[in-house]
Amino acid sequence: MSHTATAPAHSHVPALKMGVPIPNGKLGMWLFLGTEIMFFTAFIGTYIVLRLGSKGWPSDPEVTHIRIWAGGLNTFVLITSSVFVVLAHEAMNSKNYKLAMNWIIATTALACVFLAIKSYEYYGKYDHDILPGHVAESPRQALDKLVTELDKASGLLPLQKEETRLNNALALKPGEKGLETRRDEIQKKIKDLDPVLTAYRPLKDKAKFGESSLHAVHEIGDELKQLQEAHPIFKPVHEPHYIKWGNTFASIYFLMTGFHALHVIIGMIMFAIIILLGMSNKLGPQHATFVENSGLYWHFVDLVWIFLFPLIYIV
Amino acid sequence: MSDEHIMTAPSVEHAAHEEHHPHVNYWLIFAALCILTIVSWMADELGNKGIVLVIIVLSVATAKALFVMLYFMHLKFEGKWKFVLLAPTMVLALAIPAALMPDIGSHYYDYEVPQLEPDEQPTAHASEGHGTPPEHGAHADEHAPKKH
Repeated sequence: MSHTATAPAHSHVPALKMGVPIPNGKLGMWLFLGTEIMFFTAFIGTYIVLRLGSKGWPSDPEVTHIRIWAGGLNTFVLITSSVFVVLAHEAMNSKNYKLAMNWIIATTALACVFLAIKSYEYYGKYDHDILPGHVAESPRQALDKLVTELDKASGLLPLQKEETRLNNALALKPGEKGLETRRDEIQKKIKDLDPVLTAYRPLKDKAKFGESSLHAVHEIGDELKQLQEAHPIFKPVHEPHYIKWGNTFASIYFLMTGFHALHVIIGMIMFAIIILLGMSNKLGPQHATFVENSGLYWHFVDLVWIFLFPLIYIV
Repeated sequence: MSDEHIMTAPSVEHAAHEEHHPHVNYWLIFAALCILTIVSWMADELGNKGIVLVIIVLSVATAKALFVMLYFMHLKFEGKWKFVLLAPTMVLALAIPAALMPDIGSHYYDYEVPQLEPDEQPTAHASEGHGTPPEHGAHADEHAPKKH
């Protein structure tokens, strides 16, 4: 048989297709999923390698603020959504396009639930400042971070900066009324802060120039609580603590879960297209491959989470 | 190429729309996935630690992944092209972890991990806060860093 067989002109004999016996779109999706496997395996594999080589990797939920119930619930949500999307595919094959659209709507709703739970978890990380580059990894770093946060919470630094700027401007234009008035206002604000500054300066000095040990971190942490009770302005200051590998943990956590969440959002966009087609009564047999491909993509999103859940939340 | 490997373009599209794979009870697969998730959670709750926990949860995850791939993604009913297409990616996917392993994953030297060390004598100056030699004394646990 010739490898270059083509249908003769005006013939009803369909053109021959060589190679993989699946639609081009489906082949394209599987090739794309192949690249996705490499993409996520690089992250997950790197995470495993990092953990193997990092004695004392943070895994205590009280330290990492990883909530197993949240991960478990999201696993359930994604598994359920996978069933819904495969049922949508079945409905397409049965030519029940209305039912297919309804299953896709249900899948999209579950995707929203997944992202809501993930957002709650992200807020917890933000609230406890478990962010890449924000975690102290030694007693000294914990105390230095405390000093920075105390200064920031006091509100003094921007005022001092503005005062310096105004003094420099007045040196160039001595006696300018507007600048003098502004400087006086700033100086008054700084003076008003005196009780606050007096209250936190001993703690700041102790943290900055004193001992840097586990004992000192605990002691200063207790003193911070007293300061926060007396001056609520310091409530945003985090209790000093340190955790080696905390920044690497935060980086890999946000990298893996962030890219996964991005894939969830892309899946939702694909589902939105199907829903729009369904609502405008245009969903038909010509979209069967698209619905199938959306489903394949969504199952892959589920597959990635199946591995992220035990590796991040349990182990 | 033999005739059996050649399909006409419309017939390929037709095959996509009219898939005739054996009927799958998807809710049964769903139940299996839920049970396996609970097994993972229980393995942790029952106090398994270390390598035992890792083996259990990764085995369960692999079983769950197989269920999803075979039945939800219909790989069980697809032709042998799936091996040709997916096998190379599975091998290439291991490139980065393999490249990182010699230095990052396994090394002869040890890191100083403050949270694993006992409370050392306080250092007198702020600049001396980093790293004391690893020394796992009997009281290491009671001096573990405070959780926040």
